[in-house]
This record gives sequence, structure tokens and C-alpha cells, in this order.
Amino acid sequence: MIQGILSYIIFLPLIAAAVVLCLPKRLESSYRIVTVVATGLTLLLTIIAVYSFDGGIAENINSEENLQLLEKSEWFSLDLGSLGSFSVDYFLAVDGISIPMLLLASIVLFIGAISSWNIRQKKKGYFALYLLLSGSVLGCFVALDFFLFYLFFEFMLLPMYFLIGIWGGPRKEYAAIKFFIYTLIGSILILIVMIGLYNSVYDPVRTGAEIGVTSIEQVQTMVQSGEVAREDIIKSFNMIYMADQANYIPGSLLSQMSGGEIIGKSARWIAFLALLIGFAIKLPSFPFHTWLPDAHVEAPTPISVVLAGILLKIGGYGLIRTAFSFFPDSAFHYSWMIGFFGVFSILYGALNALAQKDIKKLIAYSSVSHMGFVLLGLAAMTVEGISGAIYQMFSHGLITSMLFLIAGVLYDRTQDRLIENYGGLANRLPRFTIVVGIAFFASLGLPGFSGFIAELMVFLGAFKSSAVIGAIPQWMPVVATIGLILGAGYYLWTLQRMFMGKYWVKKAEWTERLKDLNSREYLMLVPLAVLVFWFGIFPDTLMSLINSSVEGFTDLLNQAIR
Amino acid sequence: MKEQSNIVDGLGEKLSEIAGDLFYLGPEVTLAITIILVLVYDLLFKDKKEVGIFSIGFVGLVFALVISSFINAGTPFGGMFSLNMWNLTIKFLLILGGVLMLIMASRDQKNINRFGKSGELMIASLTVIMGASLMSSSTNLLMIYVAIELTSIGSYILTGIVRGRKRSEAALKYVLFGGVSSAIMIYGMSWLYGFTGTLNISDPTFFSGLSNVPILPLSIALVMTIGGFLFKLSAFPLHIWSPDVYQAAPTPVVALFSFVPKVAAIALLIQFVGAINTIDFDWQLWLGIVAIASMTVGNFSALWQKNAKRMMAYSSIAHAGFLLVGVIAFSESGNLALLFYAAVYLLMNYGAFLLISYFEKQTGSANINKLRGIGLDVPWLGVLVVIVMIALTGLPPTAGFNAKLLIFSSIWESWQGSGAQVLLWVFIIGLLNTVVALFYYLRIPYYLFFKRPEKEIDKAKLTSIDIVWGTIFVIPLLVLFFKSDWLVDFLNNINFVL
Repeated sequence: MIQGILSYIIFLPLIAAAVVLCLPKRLESSYRIVTVVATGLTLLLTIIAVYSFDGGIAENINSEENLQLLEKSEWFSLDLGSLGSFSVDYFLAVDGISIPMLLLASIVLFIGAISSWNIRQKKKGYFALYLLLSGSVLGCFVALDFFLFYLFFEFMLLPMYFLIGIWGGPRKEYAAIKFFIYTLIGSILILIVMIGLYNSVYDPVRTGAEIGVTSIEQVQTMVQSGEVAREDIIKSFNMIYMADQANYIPGSLLSQMSGGEIIGKSARWIAFLALLIGFAIKLPSFPFHTWLPDAHVEAPTPISVVLAGILLKIGGYGLIRTAFSFFPDSAFHYSWMIGFFGVFSILYGALNALAQKDIKKLIAYSSVSHMGFVLLGLAAMTVEGISGAIYQMFSHGLITSMLFLIAGVLYDRTQDRLIENYGGLANRLPRFTIVVGIAFFASLGLPGFSGFIAELMVFLGAFKSSAVIGAIPQWMPVVATIGLILGAGYYLWTLQRMFMGKYWVKKAEWTERLKDLNSREYLMLVPLAVLVFWFGIFPDTLMSLINSSVEGFTDLLNQAIR
Repeated sequence: MKEQSNIVDGLGEKLSEIAGDLFYLGPEVTLAITIILVLVYDLLFKDKKEVGIFSIGFVGLVFALVISSFINAGTPFGGMFSLNMWNLTIKFLLILGGVLMLIMASRDQKNINRFGKSGELMIASLTVIMGASLMSSSTNLLMIYVAIELTSIGSYILTGIVRGRKRSEAALKYVLFGGVSSAIMIYGMSWLYGFTGTLNISDPTFFSGLSNVPILPLSIALVMTIGGFLFKLSAFPLHIWSPDVYQAAPTPVVALFSFVPKVAAIALLIQFVGAINTIDFDWQLWLGIVAIASMTVGNFSALWQKNAKRMMAYSSIAHAGFLLVGVIAFSESGNLALLFYAAVYLLMNYGAFLLISYFEKQTGSANINKLRGIGLDVPWLGVLVVIVMIALTGLPPTAGFNAKLLIFSSIWESWQGSGAQVLLWVFIIGLLNTVVALFYYLRIPYYLFFKRPEKEIDKAKLTSIDIVWGTIFVIPLLVLFFKSDWLVDFLNNINFVL
């Protein structure tokens, strides 16, 4: 067990970025080695962290006892005079919800680093930005102070903007700015809620120190009964405190007791909606998904992999960590709507995928469809549904990385991604076809692959929901099953058009360029395929990490609804 | 005879009081002396004056800066001024803005020549700073008028002094706008004097006099008066002059314009709304509308600009709106947030103009599409630009984010306290404006990095000292994000009152 392991995980890529910037130009070829080594070490550290993680700790999601590998120290605090003061912490920890995401991020970033091997132009900038991106993505999953979380959440946009805008495809500038603007709208909504939240939430420990009381419960009762003076209250960005209703300053707008209103609606509902939209843009869910096909198609292969593999998951993770945890009552109030948008995204994404001519666009829309399952699982608000949502994020991260790598393999050889320009590739590229088959079948949810487990759990949770908690009606999962059929439709159809039948490609000169997978590509695709199998056959590997935290989380939801 | 001696007696007392109070105006007095010194030096010497003029100006400003941190709070000259810790800190920042302007001007031979040819440019700059410094603390309507005019006249000269058709046009526009708005302002002030019988806004009779006035004439008088302040702030709808002026004036002078008169006007507004706060006139609503309009109009107009300096003009109109947010919050935390914002704004705006002046040096103009590919040739410069632009947008990890966070937190608190709808709208629209702002701020990095250069640029023109200065201007933006308590502590402890 390494002390401060989460800090090492975040700062290792950042230090490596500095190293890349300092290396002289004649050592250009070493940039990629530094990157691969740094992300590899990060993965190793993450595996150590996962190994030392105890999945049996079953505490409430809003208590710090539930957290592991905790690191907390004060970052800065500002005294605001009569209105009290606020403090920002450097606060990192993991629980069952973030640990699978952290693991996924490390895996995908490592694969992405290998996939960046043949970046040819402006290497220094590329690898430095890639490492910066890696650090902030990893930080996002372990930061539990809202300020710190927001820092990582925002900061990843900038490297991403340049990575798409400089190294991307023909319409890269358009895609880059569209991505940035869309996500920024989401982040501003999140920022609005963040400002409201930290003005409503206090830090019971520090406030207790201020008034000389050590027991947290006693501080909470004292604050709630108004015995603590305004200037002694220390406001907090702590996301764990924000999830406990006893930590809201009485009379503040977002406190459940005070029933504050914004333009005639409950302030908590509005705040929940703002967070929901903010993260739904990132997820992305219909109708906020339109940035995604552009960004995915124009981004270079490794960046598409990171974007689809991890960045989308921050949307889902953020919903669980913030919106659902802070405002469980509002989540229940809007669960029908969330479920509806989930189902709609599943169908809409799948129908769009069916219509695409470009294979990368097809994969992008399939992501929209699969992320719909995350929303559906969350809306169900049952243990199975939420576990399924987390499992789906994890599994989709692996599968979609594989799919984008596959599209990259093809694009590297022919600079063309149109489905109609290929036929019967199985004859020419048999091994590639096997890998494609695995990825496609995994993605359409065939039993034995991780996607099946995830979708199964989401469906179980969604069906149970109306009986257990009454969050979403039964017709929603029923309609969502159509998405599975459509999924099978577009994957099998693509497989048939591109790989079956007589070998044919549009331009004759492609034939000699179309060679089967090389060893670097095996290095990326085979481990992913093994992982997809592994988590399909032994789901308990992941479930044992997730389970107790999800139970704590659903307890929180249930308490709030009653 | 007896009566006359009474007057003389009183006069003696008054004179000694005035002489005693003079120390309160230490920075302004220092600047006035510096102006005279520059003038005399200018008359005595014929050639190679730049070293002398620069050093006199620089020493004078630094001296004023030091003095400004040793002044006590008080109300000198029979209530003509009101000095407190808050506006003394603002004064410090204003003079610091002058010092940084000189540093920026000394980085470019063209500007050195301009300043060195005759003392006028230096004198006008010092006048602007002196006027602004007076403006930030005056509580007497007449003094306010004089201070604003002092600042304005200095600014007109600064805009028009460098020859050129564009510049003359801009200066003329500026003079006309300024003349009209100050005429309206003094007309409004005359109403206020008529209502209350006093010129001193901190006098209780001023407040009680206004409380008895019917709402319509009161609103007319206040709107006219505040209009004059908004002109100096270049807030909507009195912003139209600024793009032309910014485009025409020399870049260091523009940096001065974008900070010094604006922040002085904000300080003045804080004093003024403090005096009229509880009377019938809903100033929060009016200023709230102005703030929303400034942010939105400034940001949207900036979208279409092709000249970096013009773009920065609109950006500074938008920032005037953000500064107004702190005024509207009208609370202790709002004032703290304003100080923080002003300090960060100083850094980021001067940083932006310094970098723009480098590009002007390299490409000969401030046109954004001339910047193609420079970021790839001089990557460090490009990175600095990205940091400054991100700070201006208000995103982490730059101090621009903390400034926005603080200022919008203060308005949230005020809204939570009072429930006035306009505060909520200022809060929401203000933050959403960030998205629009991002679009145009990113245009410069976009041309720097995404576009291919049209021709090889001359890298030799940019020395490594330039890069070092750029770094010195920009790096605090990053440091202060991670350690914003340092800046807050610094601002709170600027005064070493003995």
C-alpha cells in the first residue's frame, strides 16, 4: 500500500508532460516512450489501488467512512467577513463508484498512448497535451472537492480542443470549437449550481473547530437550530458533505428544509435540472448529443478512443456523484423524464447509427445509444439499475475503445472510412475480421461479453423499479429492448457489407496497403478483447468493488424519497 | 472690521487644516510634481529625451505607489474626499496600472520614440492616472466632476496626439462623446444640488434631501449623473466610443484606458450608490440592466472583430459589466470580490495588451488573421496567449476563474438575502456570457496554432527579454488560481498604516 497513491496517479502524467516539454527536439522519438511509460506506470499504480481497495466497506455514500485511500489537506480558504468564510480542500479519495471509472480511465489512457505511436507531426505538443489530458481525466474521477473536481472537469477541455483542432481530420476546427462550446455550456450550468451549493453547505468539522465542538452530530444540530453565528460558519466545497442534508445552512436556498424557490419552482429542482443538463451534454444524451459525431469523426484515432472511452463516462459519473447524491428528492421527481430521455437516446442513437455511411460516425451514434442505458439505469433508482449503469459505463469504455481502434486501423491504411467502399474484407484481412467480430458482438450485447451483463442489469433494475421504488414505468425497459434489436441490426449489417461476400475495394491501390494487423495493433486490441471477455464471464470482479457503495447510494435515495 | 477678522481667523484655521490634509493626497501630489518635473525637463533638453522622461515618470509613479500604501483612512478637506481601506487599495492598483504601462511601453522602440519625442504623452498619462486616483475617493460632486474631466482630457490627448487620420477621427469622436456625456452629468449634478443644497454626497442632508424628492425628477437626475460615470466605465449604452479609441491609440495607452479610468469609475460608483442606497430609486435594477446589457452587447459585438485591439475594446466593455456585478452585489464580500477582480483584471488585460504589442511588433498590425501560425514558431508566446485568453474568459486554471467565482458568489449571496429578481438574472446571464466570450477569445489561439502561416515571420524582432516580460505578466494568473488567498491577503494588507 503506497501512501498518497491517488496523488501519484494524477501527477505522474502531469510530470511526464513537463518532461516532454523539456526534452530537446533531437530526442523527438523519445516523447512517445515517455508517454507510454508514464501512462503504463499510472495503470500499474491504479491496479495497486484497485487491489488494495476493500469492497466490503458498507457505509452510507455521504459519510467519509465509506471512502478509501483518502487524502485531504486544505488548499486555500478565504475570509469573507460577515458572511463567514469558505475553504477549498485538496481532497482525493475513491469509493465503489469511482474506482471502476479510475481503472477504466487508466486502461484506456494506456491504450490511447500506444495508439498515438505513429503521430507524425508536432510531436512535442501532441504528447504534452495528451499527458495533460490524462492527468485531468484521472483527477476528475478521484476529486471529491467540488472546486477541485471542476478544475479537472474544465481543464480537460483545453487539451482536447487543441488535440482535435490541430491533429484532427478535414473539418477539425469546426469540430473542436463545437465540442468546446457545447461542453462549456454544460460546465457553466454546473458552475452556477456549484456557486449555489457552496453558499448553502457548511463544513461541520471546521465549523465545529471554530465554535469548539468536536462531535459532528452536535455541530449539525446546533447549526440547524440556529445557535451558530453566521460568521462562524465555514462554507465548504466538499462533495461528501453536500450529499448530507444536515450540512445545509438553514434558510439557504438549496437546503431541503427551507424550500427555497426560483421563479416559483423549487430551487432544488432547478439546481438538479441544471446539473442534469450539464452532465447530459457530456454523456451525451439526446437532445444534447450533436457535438459528439463531429468531434469523434474529426478527432485522431487515439483521441476518439479517449473521448468515447472515458470523457463520456465523466457525464455519467458526474450525475451519480453530484446531481443524484445532492438532490435525491429532485432526482426522484424527474426520474420519469430521465428515463424517457434514456430510452429516447437508445432508440434515436440506434436509428441514426443504422443510417450512417461512415463507420466512425456509426460508432459515434452507437455510443449515444449505449449511453442511453446509463440514463435508464440511473432513472430506475434500484440497486441493479445503478450497478448496471456503472457496469455499462465500464464495459462501453472498453468496447468503444476497441471499435474506434478498429476504425483507426482501416483509416490508417486507406484514409477512407465509408462503409460502401469496402466489401469482403474477411478474405483479405482474416485476423482483423475476427477482432471486428468480437468487438461488434460485444457491443450488440451478446452473452459472454461485458456489454451483456451491463444491459441485463439495467433491464432488471428498470423492470423492478416500478414495484420497488416507483421511479419509472415498466413500458420504458420494454421499449428500450427495441434498441437491442436495432443494435444487432446495424452491426450485423455493417459486418455483412464490409467483411462478407466477395473481396472488393473502391480503389485498386488500396489492396496492397490493406495488410492484416501488425504487432502494435495486436498489443492494443487483444488485451481489450480479453478484458471484454473477462468482465462478461466473471462480472464479480467488478461487482465486488461496486456493490456496497451502490447499496449505500440507493439507501440515500430511498431515505430522501420517504 | 470685526467680521473680517473672523473670516481671516477662520481662514488661517482652514489653511492649516488643508495643509495638514495634504498628506492624504500624497499620491496625487506626487503625480502633480512629477508632471511639472517632466514639463521642465522637456523644456530644458532638446535631444535624446526618452531616458529622462521615462525615468522621471517611472520614479514618480513608483514613489506615488509607495506613498499610497502609507495613507490613513479619513475624510480630508472637509469631506471633499473619503478615504477608506477599500478605495486606498483601489488607488494602489490604479497607480500600479501606470507603472506597468510604462514597463510595457519600454518594450517597443516605437513607443519609446513616441514617449521620448516630447513630454506630452507622459504628462497626459500621468494626468489620467492622477484624475482617476482623485475620482476613486471623491465624495463631493464638484470634485467628482473635476476628477472625471481631468481623466477625460488626458485621455483625449493620449488618443489624438500620435498623428494619423484614423487617430484624429477617434479622438474627435471621443471628445464629442465625452463632452456631451459630461454636460449631461453636470446637469444631473445640478439637479441633485438643487434638491439637497449640498454637494457632498456623504453628508446626511444629501440623503435626507433626496428622500423627499418625487421619484420621476429624482430618477432623471440620478440617471443623468450615473450616465457620466458609465461613460468612464465604457459600459452600455455609453460604450460606442471605445472600439475606435482602442484601435487608434498606442497599445500601452490602450492598456491604461482599459484599466485605470474603468476601475476608478467603479470605485466612484461604489461611493455614490452607498450614498443613495435606501432611497426610493431602485439603482440595483438600473445598474443590473446596464450590467447585463454591457456583458451581452460587449461579448456579442466582439465576435465579429478582426482587429485584436478592437476585440479587446469590446472585451473590456463586457468586463465593465462584470465589474458592475460586484457593485450591484453591494456587500462586504462584493467589495472584496471587486478588489480581487480588479487586481486580476489588471494582470490579464495588461498581459493581453503586452502580447498584442509583441504581435504588432512582429507583423506590423494587430489584425488577427495576420497571426497565422505564429504560435507554432514561437510556442512559448503562444502558450502565454492561451493562458491570458483563458483567464479573460474566466476558466480554470487561471485567476480569472477565481475572480468570476468570487464576484458571482457575492451576487448570489445578495440575491439570497434580498430576493430581488434582477440579481438572479445578472447571475445567470453573466455566467452564460462566458460561453460567448470563449468563442472570440479563442480566435487568437486559433489563428496562432490552427492556421498555416502565409509567409515566414521574422523571429529576430522578438528578444528573449520580451518573452521574459510576457512570462512575468502572465504567470501570476496561474499562481493566483492555486493560491488566491495570497492575493486576498496582499490586498487586505496593502496599507502599512503606522
